[in-house]
Order: sequence, then C-alpha cells, then structure tokens
Amino acid sequence: MDVSTIIQLIWILLFILLITGLNQRIQLKLWVFDIRTKLNTIRSLLEEDKAKTRSMLRNLGVEVPEAIIERVIEFFTIEPVEIEPVDIIKRMDHLLRTTEASVRKIVSSHLPSLGRHELSLIESSLSIVAALNIVYKVIRHYLLIGERENNFILIMQLEYLMPQVMRIAYTYHEALDSFMYGKPVGDGAGPLVVYNLIERSEVKSRRVIDDTSVVEAYYKGRRLILVKAEGPGSNVGHPGAVISRIVEDLKGSINLIITIDASLKLEGEETGSISEGVGAAIGDPGPEKIAIERAATKYNIPLRALVVKMDLKEAITTMKKDIVEACERASILIERMIEELTPPNATIVIAGIGNTMGIPG
Amino acid sequence: MPLHTLQLTDFAWLVVLIIIIVYMIYDLYSRRPKRSITYTRETLVCTKCGLNVERDFEPGDFIGLVKGKCPSCGGNLKIKAIYSIEKTKR
Repeated sequence: MDVSTIIQLIWILLFILLITGLNQRIQLKLWVFDIRTKLNTIRSLLEEDKAKTRSMLRNLGVEVPEAIIERVIEFFTIEPVEIEPVDIIKRMDHLLRTTEASVRKIVSSHLPSLGRHELSLIESSLSIVAALNIVYKVIRHYLLIGERENNFILIMQLEYLMPQVMRIAYTYHEALDSFMYGKPVGDGAGPLVVYNLIERSEVKSRRVIDDTSVVEAYYKGRRLILVKAEGPGSNVGHPGAVISRIVEDLKGSINLIITIDASLKLEGEETGSISEGVGAAIGDPGPEKIAIERAATKYNIPLRALVVKMDLKEAITTMKKDIVEACERASILIERMIEELTPPNATIVIAGIGNTMGIPG
Repeated sequence: MPLHTLQLTDFAWLVVLIIIIVYMIYDLYSRRPKRSITYTRETLVCTKCGLNVERDFEPGDFIGLVKGKCPSCGGNLKIKAIYSIEKTKR
C-alpha cells in the first residue's frame, strides 16, 4: 500500500465520521473522561479536607466526628419567596440568623466546653468543607446527566467551565488551613484597617453589640465610632444592624459614614490597590447592606466607601503581605478623608466589613 | 508510488502534523499552574524600642497578641501583622 492510498483512506474515514456524527461521540467521550479525571481530583481534595476536619474534632474530644461533619456540610437554607417583595429583607435576615444560630448550636452541642473563638474556627472550617462538597456534588450531577442523555452541549459547557471550577476547588482546599488555625484572611482587610485606626486613636469606650465590636475613640478633635466584627475568632458580625442602631441612638447626628471592605478585583488589576467611592461597601446577601443604606438615607448622612482589591483566592486564604501593606495605606487614606470631609467636633462612623479572624477588638 | 519514496507534498503534511503535535504538547504544559509552597510569617514589634522581629506563625497567634520579650531592650513584643509568603516550586 502506498502513501497516497493511506491518505485517501484517512479522508474517507474522516468523511464517514462526519456524516454519521461519530466524531461528536468520540469528542463527547474524550470530554467525559477529562471531566471525570478532574472530578476525581475534587473528590480527593474533599476527602483530604474531611480527614483534616475529622482529626481536628477528634483532638478536641469528639468521639464520632463524622456525625457532626455530615450534618453540617449537608445543612441548607431555603431562600425566601421573591415574588412577594414585601418584608423580604426581614425574612432573609431571619433565615440567615437562624442558619447561623443552628450551625452554632450543632457544633456547640458536641463541644460544650469549647470557647467562642475555637467554636467559630470549627464552624468556618466546616463551612469550607461544605462549599467544596457542593462544588463536587453539582459537577457530578451535571456530568451524570450529560452522560446519561448524551447531551453534547451540556458536557461541552462543563468541559470549558472545569478550569474555573478547579480553581475554585483548589481555593477552598487551601482556605481550610487558614480557618483551622485562625490566620487572618484577605477578607479581613476592612477589620484590619479599623483595628489600625483603633490603635492610633484615643479610645474612650468599647462595647459589643450583636457579635459586633463598637469602639468610641477620638482623632484630631473628631468623635469616631469604629465598628467591626468581634475578634479574633472567625466572625463577620452584623455591621449593618449595628450601624443602623447607632444612627438611631444618635438621632442621625452623624456627619459621615465610611465603610471599608475587601473587593474582588478584575483580571489585570493589582492586588492591594485601593479605590474610594460612594455607597455601602459590604458584600452580604442584602440585610446588612440595606440597613446601612436606609440609615444613611433617612438622616441624609454622606455614605463613603473604600475597597481593597484582591481575587477570590486571596480573599479567603491567609492575607498576603501586599494586602497587609494596602491596609496600612488605607488607614492613612481614611485619616485624610476624615480631615478633608468633616469639621472638628464631627461624629464619624467607620465600619470595617469582613471576617475578623486573627484580628482582635 | 512505493512507501520509501515520499513526495514533497506528503513530506510537507508530515512536517505540519509534527509541528501541530509539538505545539499542542508545549501549550498544555506551559498553561499548567506553577506549584507553590505557602509559608505564614508574622511581624512582631517591640512596644518599647520599636524593633521589628519576623517569625513563623504558630497556632493560636493573632494580631495584637503580646508574645515574648524584645531581644534588644526586654520590652514586650506585640504581633503587628500575620501574612503569607508564596514560594514557587521548580
């Protein structure tokens, strides 16, 4: 057989594959193989994280850690009815607070002698495992449906989504270490800026309302009300509800509200770059953000925002040095904003939004 | 045409095929994320003389914690920052 015959045969074979659609079936099988390999990687990450959590709970004296792990990672919250918008924020807030209290109750019932700080680290570690578990189950669900129904489009979408999904899975996997040992994460940028401000100001009083720390301090003749989640445990607090309460208590006699938060950067933007703007910088599902907006709008208080930019991985894993330095710059910028935007004797509410793990106060 | 006497066009096809395969393998490996190891470090500052000391993070540490004495003046060392450092593996 000579070369031209072989080439002719290859062309005929390709033609047959094209007209019978067999080429798509081959492509489908290749994609399914690739997705399954990546899904197995996610499963091994999940198993590794479950084993780490099991070992942590066993060291704390839990005899059957599997029971608590399975119960918490399968815990769900049903979203409130959206077609009836009346009091949706109130209903959502109620459901979110009930979820928080229920998970805390499950964990504390197994570990009654543990302090709040340690309990919060366990709750957060279990939430990380739960997030990875959801990623694994959703990808497995679509893979099995696509395979069962020979759904070329579904498998193709999944195949092209897999690099992004894998990045998310690795991010959750890496984040577990930070939450198990209570290291500050990138999302703690807001609380860290407020902590820096507390350290530099003349503190008058401290109190805790609703898991949220409220510090009254003075800076260059201005009264600062510094709000952040109570640390150093893994906690985001309820800054919206607390700011709303402070504004009502002071009957709106506040000159400025500033919120500081970590923000997801766009690709190409630098980690640790700072931007300022207007609005409530807070990434909750709604109740906390709307509470700040309503309080500011009711009394016509200027609402300013400052964000420290980072990507998802940087937000939920141990804080990078770039972000620590950015927080220092943000603290200086806040001081400048205070001097520029308010007169002496003004009252300013400054809220650091985010998880305060590893950051006290 | 016998197999050992390749024509110029067949040879050109073969070269194109090899180039494509080599490019695909290179593309596959060059896109793989680089493996890295992350260390957690902390900066401690002496509350008396302001000396900066850098150490590895230990479980239970948090920002603001007073941890040890200053090697220079004996003042309290306070954790100022906790951060991660990434080292890329070859």
